[in-house]
Amino acid sequence: MDTNAILGPVATLALWSMIMWVWMYATRIPAMNRAKIDAAKMVGGTGKNLDDVLPAEVQWKAHNYNHLMEQPTVFYAVAIALAVGGMGGGLNAQIAWAYVGLRILHSLIQATVNRVMWRFGIFALASLALIALCLHAFIGFVLH
Amino acid sequence: MSNSILAPGAVLALWTLIMLIWVAVTRFSAMSKAGVDLKVAPPGGRGADLEAVLPPSVNWKSHNYTHLLEQPTLFYAVIVFLHLSGGDVGYTRWIAWAYVILRIVHSLWQATVNRIPVRFAIFSLYTLCLFALSVLAVIATLG
Repeated sequence: MDTNAILGPVATLALWSMIMWVWMYATRIPAMNRAKIDAAKMVGGTGKNLDDVLPAEVQWKAHNYNHLMEQPTVFYAVAIALAVGGMGGGLNAQIAWAYVGLRILHSLIQATVNRVMWRFGIFALASLALIALCLHAFIGFVLH
Repeated sequence: MSNSILAPGAVLALWTLIMLIWVAVTRFSAMSKAGVDLKVAPPGGRGADLEAVLPPSVNWKSHNYTHLLEQPTLFYAVIVFLHLSGGDVGYTRWIAWAYVILRIVHSLWQATVNRIPVRFAIFSLYTLCLFALSVLAVIATLG
């Protein structure tokens, strides 16, 4: 069993985060131009200030990019720990792929229709996958 | 107790998701009390929008879950550095366990009583642990 198999989903989610970064700026910069915001004169603002200024669906891409820097950091830690501990193959790799697939679906929903109930359903499923990985790491590292 | 510095990391990851469950359980019952219906929520709403709607003690759980996705990301990176570079030895493991136990105490405090001087004291203690681990990681990786 290839214990590094779990690094495939890790690399995929990292790359997906960068794709969301591109999507965020590809929509944000034109929207800033339309809103007549001159970034050259701005001092000290953060992306959050744009929530009041840009259309909601432009900010949804940024909301999702920010989310990708939140819970997935636990995913990266656990996945790398499982790989280092020789537990990154088989079922754990499949669960990790499920997590990444669900996170990509979550991104697509939040960046487009953004219906809260759908988003929550996908987030709950992804969280269950992450809970399973955490339990396997706990069993492997703490109980053994 | 396990003899790997990765064990406290696994415990903290699991604890983070236990906090997520605590957030969900308290938030949903508070939302139904407040008459918030997700089915008719406007598109794009987020957890932060509930700050003005739900009681503070409900939002405290969520504040703590958010914190668990901030500084601990540095902790995970540092313990992996230590593990991969020969720094996974007795006393570094104890410091890592201390960090995780203090984070759990911090969560319980923030989610319930949440008096700030106590929270700040716990925060300072575990940050000192992380500081020590970071210095040890620099020594282990350069050495």
